[in-house]
Amino acid sequence: MKILIPLKQVPDSTVRVKVGADGKSIATEGITWSISPYDEYAIEMALERKDAEPSTVVAVVTVGPARSRDALRQALAMGCDEASLVTADETAPPLVVARALARIVSDAKPDLVLCGKQASDDDQGFVGPALADVLGWPHVSMLTKVVPTEGAVELWREVEGGHEVWKAPLPALGTVHKSEKEPRYPSLPGIMKAKKKEIPERDLAALGVDPSAPKLEVLSMEPPPSRGGGKIVKDGDAKQVAEQLALLLRDEAKVL
Amino acid sequence: MRILVVAERKETELRRVSLELAAIAKGLGESEIVEMAGERYSPLPFVAALAKKVEAEKPDLVLLGATLNGRDLGARLAARVGRAYAADVTELRADGSGLAVTKPMYAGKVRAKLRVPLPAVVSVRPGAIPLKEGAPAPQVAKLEADASAEELTFVKFAATASGGKRVSLAEARVIVSGGRGLKGPENWHLVEKLADALGAAVGASRAVTDAGWRPNEEQVGQTGKTVTPDLYIALGISGAIQHLAGMTSSKVIVAVNKDPDADIFKIADYGVVADVFEFVPAFTEAIKKARSS
Ligand SMILES: Cc1cc2nc3c(=O)[nH]c(=O)nc-3n(C[C@H](O)[C@H](O)[C@H](O)COP(=O)(O)OP(=O)(O)OC[C@H]3O[C@@H](n4cnc5c(N)ncnc54)[C@H](O)[C@@H]3O)c2cc1C
Ligand SMILES: Nc1ncnc2c1ncn2[C@@H]1O[C@H](COP(=O)(O)O)[C@@H](O)[C@H]1O
Repeated sequence: MKILIPLKQVPDSTVRVKVGADGKSIATEGITWSISPYDEYAIEMALERKDAEPSTVVAVVTVGPARSRDALRQALAMGCDEASLVTADETAPPLVVARALARIVSDAKPDLVLCGKQASDDDQGFVGPALADVLGWPHVSMLTKVVPTEGAVELWREVEGGHEVWKAPLPALGTVHKSEKEPRYPSLPGIMKAKKKEIPERDLAALGVDPSAPKLEVLSMEPPPSRGGGKIVKDGDAKQVAEQLALLLRDEAKVL
Repeated sequence: MRILVVAERKETELRRVSLELAAIAKGLGESEIVEMAGERYSPLPFVAALAKKVEAEKPDLVLLGATLNGRDLGARLAARVGRAYAADVTELRADGSGLAVTKPMYAGKVRAKLRVPLPAVVSVRPGAIPLKEGAPAPQVAKLEADASAEELTFVKFAATASGGKRVSLAEARVIVSGGRGLKGPENWHLVEKLADALGAAVGASRAVTDAGWRPNEEQVGQTGKTVTPDLYIALGISGAIQHLAGMTSSKVIVAVNKDPDADIFKIADYGVVADVFEFVPAFTEAIKKARSS
């Protein structure tokens, strides 16, 4: 089985994201970039299949600026077999990204495509279902488990109160919410091997992708309202503090 | 502006977010509200039926709830009809020939104002606007899902052992979350009793869901749920940046932690430096008393 993971490079989850001087993008100076967390889960999910069935081939691809090559390199170091880069401006509209990914899929011919449930930069969750639609494939979102069966896959989708289990014919696409284990760290041999791997690069024009698509325009960005200046409730024993807090919530904050 | 609202039902009741969408649509223009008729949500049959309607009637805007299914359906529908899509918006208004919306970006660490060109598909976060109590129920028409478009087979529903009966996190007005400070799953009765006293949903930090103490679906944060309740109570949670990303827009935040330097206190409106095992039972009693007097 071949599994392809479209991944995106985003600010690392530990980065304290700040709004840049223009007020409509983030300050990127000095920040650490990583594979978007749900895409890491998708990679882990695919590598768990490869652990179980070594003939599994795991490929990654990203559409993005030159720095995204590092994210691909990291995926290779985790144990992925192949990587390719489609160079494009960061602001390429999602439907254009989906079309570019569809071209890569037609070349690579994976049985299964696993996207992240959403990228931790635009928080959209658009590209996965959009790619499935461009390909004309079925998709299932919010996956936590993939179980291959004869010519098909069983896809476990996390919903309120449990999981829906769906059977999809191959090829199919899933968007990943979580893997069974935590994403693995690159091993030293993995890092050495990744360094030697070639990462072919193409641009949108070379793929013949139609670049026109509706686009959201950022007008401004701001940090969430700043918090702080809270009260520490501390007078008396546990019971007294508990009673004061309950009354504050009822009479001052008015949330009971 | 002409708006098509896609409503969603939980068991027999329309979801609250659907009523919110109806109110938003009314403020924007002329609206029609449909509910998909089909055994259960599945993208292809739902999208096929909706896309047909959208292509025939060309509403300027399709509004869905930013629920699990609403977000998925909205994304694939937008791709099918080639429209702009904005997910999980918390504010929206008409802006010339488009819409101005506010939505989270960077895992909730930034709020962005975006211009969405029309025609568009937009999913709106539950609780984005206050609902007037006692407003008349909206008129909802049924739209049959197109079963012929299905390619998936539903196998089964596997229920989570503890799941089901509680209020869902995404729509809860009050949430009580537990962290590693609770020490183990056997102590969750403390969290649950407090939640019961408040009529609250139960959440958890990732340390807790990763350890398997609680199911995944209860995780709050960057890789869990983003929540915006009126009251969020964090018990034994340190306040890691990835946890804060999911709950920092709550109206009122209460933190209970035995470490006075815990980061969670930096964003809490009310903090208590205490041992959860001692404080939480007393607080549960105090809440019951405060609510009944
Ligand atoms: C890519 C990525 C994504 C992530 N996504 C998420 C996410 O979505 N959600 C999330 O929560 N985390 C997430 N994390 C993990 C996050 O970094 C933290 O590890 C996690 O939030 C810690 O959980 P915690 O606060 O329960 O545990 P800890 O950090 O261990 O904190 C436990 C707290 O309990 C207090 N305590 C201990 N005993 C007591 C007691 N008896 N009484 C009172 N207080 C006590 C301690 O003082 C401490 O502050 C993510 C991490 C990464 C790298
Ligand atoms: N530029 C991109 N290149 C490759 N994959 C992408 C890109 N953007 C989004 N994706 C994939 O689509 C998922 C959802 O992204 P988004 O729609 O941006 O939230 C991500 O988790 C990735 O799997």
